[in-house]
Amino acid sequence: MNRWRPGPLGRSADEATQFRRRALLAGIVVTALLVALALGYGRLQILLHEEYATRSDENRIRLEPIIPARGLVFDRNGVLLADNAPAYRLDIVPERVPDLPALLDELGRIVALDANDLARFEAARRASRRFQPVPLKARLDEAEIARLAIDRHRFPGVEVVPYLTRRYPFGALTAHVVGYVGRPDADDLAALEARGERRFSVLPHLGRTGIERYHEARLRGEVGHQAVETNVENRPLRVLRRHDARPGQDLQLGLDIRLQQAMVEAFQGQYGAAVAIEPTTGEILGMVSLPAFDPNLFVGGIPVADFRRLNEDPARPLFNRNVLGGFPPGSTLKPFLALAGLEAGLITPQWTVLSTGAFRLPGQAREYRDWRPGGHGRVALVESLAQSVNTYYFELAMKLGIDGISRDLAVYGFGQPTGIDLRGESSGVLPSRAWKQARFRQPWFPGETVIAGIGQGYWVTTPLQLARATAALADDGRLRRPHLVRAVRAGFDQPMQALPQPAPQQVVRDPAALAAVEAGLVAALHGPTGTARLSGEGAAYRIAGKTGTAQRVGRQGDARIDSARLPLHLRHQALFVGYAPVEQPSIAVAVIVEHGGSGAVAAAVARRIFDAWMALPPTAVAPDEAAP
Amino acid sequence: MSGLLRWLTALAGRLLDRVDGPLLAGLLAIMAASLLVQASAADGELRAVLAQGVRFAVGLVALLILSRLSPTFLREWTPLAYLGSLGLIGLVFLFGQGRSADLWLDLGVFYLQPGELLKLSVPMMAAWFLHQARLPPGWRSLALCAVIIGLPVALTILQPDLGTGLLVGASGVFVVFLAGIAWWRIALFAGIGLAALPVAWQFLMPYQKDRVLTFLDPESDPLGAGWNIIQSKIAIGSGGIDGKGWGQGTQAQLDFLPEHTTDFVFSVFAEEFGWIGVLVLLGLYLFVTLRGLWLAAQARDTYSRLLAGALTLTFSVYVVVNAGMVAGFLPVVGVPMPLLSYGGTSAVSLLAGFGIVMAAGAHRRRWGG
Repeated sequence: MNRWRPGPLGRSADEATQFRRRALLAGIVVTALLVALALGYGRLQILLHEEYATRSDENRIRLEPIIPARGLVFDRNGVLLADNAPAYRLDIVPERVPDLPALLDELGRIVALDANDLARFEAARRASRRFQPVPLKARLDEAEIARLAIDRHRFPGVEVVPYLTRRYPFGALTAHVVGYVGRPDADDLAALEARGERRFSVLPHLGRTGIERYHEARLRGEVGHQAVETNVENRPLRVLRRHDARPGQDLQLGLDIRLQQAMVEAFQGQYGAAVAIEPTTGEILGMVSLPAFDPNLFVGGIPVADFRRLNEDPARPLFNRNVLGGFPPGSTLKPFLALAGLEAGLITPQWTVLSTGAFRLPGQAREYRDWRPGGHGRVALVESLAQSVNTYYFELAMKLGIDGISRDLAVYGFGQPTGIDLRGESSGVLPSRAWKQARFRQPWFPGETVIAGIGQGYWVTTPLQLARATAALADDGRLRRPHLVRAVRAGFDQPMQALPQPAPQQVVRDPAALAAVEAGLVAALHGPTGTARLSGEGAAYRIAGKTGTAQRVGRQGDARIDSARLPLHLRHQALFVGYAPVEQPSIAVAVIVEHGGSGAVAAAVARRIFDAWMALPPTAVAPDEAAP
Repeated sequence: MSGLLRWLTALAGRLLDRVDGPLLAGLLAIMAASLLVQASAADGELRAVLAQGVRFAVGLVALLILSRLSPTFLREWTPLAYLGSLGLIGLVFLFGQGRSADLWLDLGVFYLQPGELLKLSVPMMAAWFLHQARLPPGWRSLALCAVIIGLPVALTILQPDLGTGLLVGASGVFVVFLAGIAWWRIALFAGIGLAALPVAWQFLMPYQKDRVLTFLDPESDPLGAGWNIIQSKIAIGSGGIDGKGWGQGTQAQLDFLPEHTTDFVFSVFAEEFGWIGVLVLLGLYLFVTLRGLWLAAQARDTYSRLLAGALTLTFSVYVVVNAGMVAGFLPVVGVPMPLLSYGGTSAVSLLAGFGIVMAAGAHRRRWGG
């Protein structure tokens, strides 16, 4: 082509032809490229459509949990014992903060930030994406919220987030009944996961002790969820689907907070525990364990120093003595032993025993003593209870034998959990041959039967077990399950519905035997010789009761121990069980005063509790009518 | 009244008589699609749509004016236009140094991107030169063409604006190709070009290297450099056959897809109108390209032919590169989708270019045999 030299016109025509050829070629290439592109788009939009559609949804749709409001807890008159209070949290969105250290520095001048807050924030910040809010301070007080509101514009990326937290208005007063919630930790989350309840891991609180723990499944409700469309900054734009949360059930306790308060005051600063039960229902009217603690400390995560202080306190404020504590019941066991003898036909109310001050088993040198030197003389059932005559019960125990004792006293619930709606209840010990064999791999000795007759030796009971058994005496021999929660409701617009309780067991079948024992218990308070006669004096109603002493140190031979002279931690525990009014009992109590010495100390506490209860106006208000 | 109307009709007829109907229809259809997708992306904020409409109007005026210029007139002014635009790029180069995004000259009224002018003036200059040279071009002509094309390309890439530089270069190379450069010479240049690739790599800016590496493996850095291309593919793929519907493209509406009004607008279009929409739009682009090449082939003189053909082919390069880039078939280079993307001088210079194409086709029919 190069060698051919065309003329002007020919050259032009040749160039035009050449151009057309090249243009045609270019057109074909462009067409081919666009067809290839169309096919490539077809592959993305048809063959791979499913995959990309999924990724597009994953981009924009976020599944958010909806937190249910935790159920409320009321007392029997509708007074709130645990509620959900609005609180404010300080969150920071790192992405929107230009200079984080400077911001923390400035915020520190407006709100109180301690090293704990900063460390937790730093850890959480590293674990989350930059556009996600990270909590800096769990609880802002009102002054801090106000200061933040003024300076809001100076702090981009700082958010004050409202949420619901748990509040116990009565603080320490309900610590051992209502218990407390805490923030779920890694172990809790693992446990939820193992139970297939991972959906609950988003809840801010988890019941740790008391009612909060035992009734967790009712109180927490059901977590809901919603699918939220978000933009690239993860901001929610609209709700696509919503499955509402179901709020937790509200609980009504049998507890009367006024009596609870009176019970604490009745101890007059002494340590110990007391349970009050309504005999006809088994409802717990009051339950105190002293000293106590403020459960509100635990809600937002208790500071380590506070926890250490409570946990290492020798007075054990975290320990609920009513269900966890165990001690020998001492003489408070005597009415039950008497009933066992009467019902077994081994004794009659008229049967008498001569108390000389010391009791000996045939052929044995060891003496088992009465508390009064020289003894009580010849006594029948009523006086044996009124004066707490040990010899009477040594004789009776030998008649019953250890097998009779373990068989006949088991019906009152000794040696087994009462079934109260609290976790970790102690069983105590009902002594028996089998128990001793299993525990010590030793046979039973007759002398052990003797001291078992006065509630010493291997016996271990909890205040709740004693109160329950005493309530059975008050309710014509019917043993009930003691319980804190009497009714529940599914929502504030629903009526309270009673929780069904197991039917009571008729554990005393002979009304005459019961009446004889009651006469002895009344004589203990109102008789001239009664061990608790000082506590029975001047009462406008009649009380039936029995004092007792749980020994911390055993008697050494003949030496008598003056409890009041022992160091505090070695003094005996003072015990009292009783009920009132005798004619139609409305309350049964068990009281233990730590290091109280004589049982009369516990009787005095019980008297103050009875007086308070009798003085309370019976205002039963439904919880929905009570002002919050 | 009727006299005024008649005068207006006559005026319109005279203005439009050099305009190629089918080509204009194709361009208007693409512009309509652009306004549609920009309105969707604007989400009620109509100022952006209006601005795009104004740009189209300016471009159409430029198209009408240029379609009426005689090729001879255009050819006579070519060297001046070329030197003028070269001078502007030099200004940007001097004043824009150190700021990679500053490729604009503030003209008071609007910003002018001198790179866009080069897309017209470089093929004009190459065509002007080859119009006088013996064809097919020999070594001497090719060497001069290399200077005419290479100088502005080098200045543009150094700005640095790789996308525009490549398009300017392409527009010049197309002139040479259409002028009938021998195949063995093409093969030789292609060989030299391939061999020079590793050297050219050394001269790329770090972000340009990133783009190429990201293209090779976008998932290696899904939240960083790969984000755009991954989100763009998600937008396209999730559109399916018939799309999510106008204004319903979640990828764009929820801001997952960056640059969704400019370089990645075709992804939005594909998300909202699906594969069917993609076929229609690519069909329109193909039609415009083929019609432009046909018009170029009708031109009377070498200058018009080469220029019109090169401008049309450059237009198709935009389409192929942009559509390939947003779908992840090609590395990301800053090339907009012609007329669809939101942008200033690109739309105006493209429409102006088609005015030249129409002038070339019309003058053939008018004065040709």
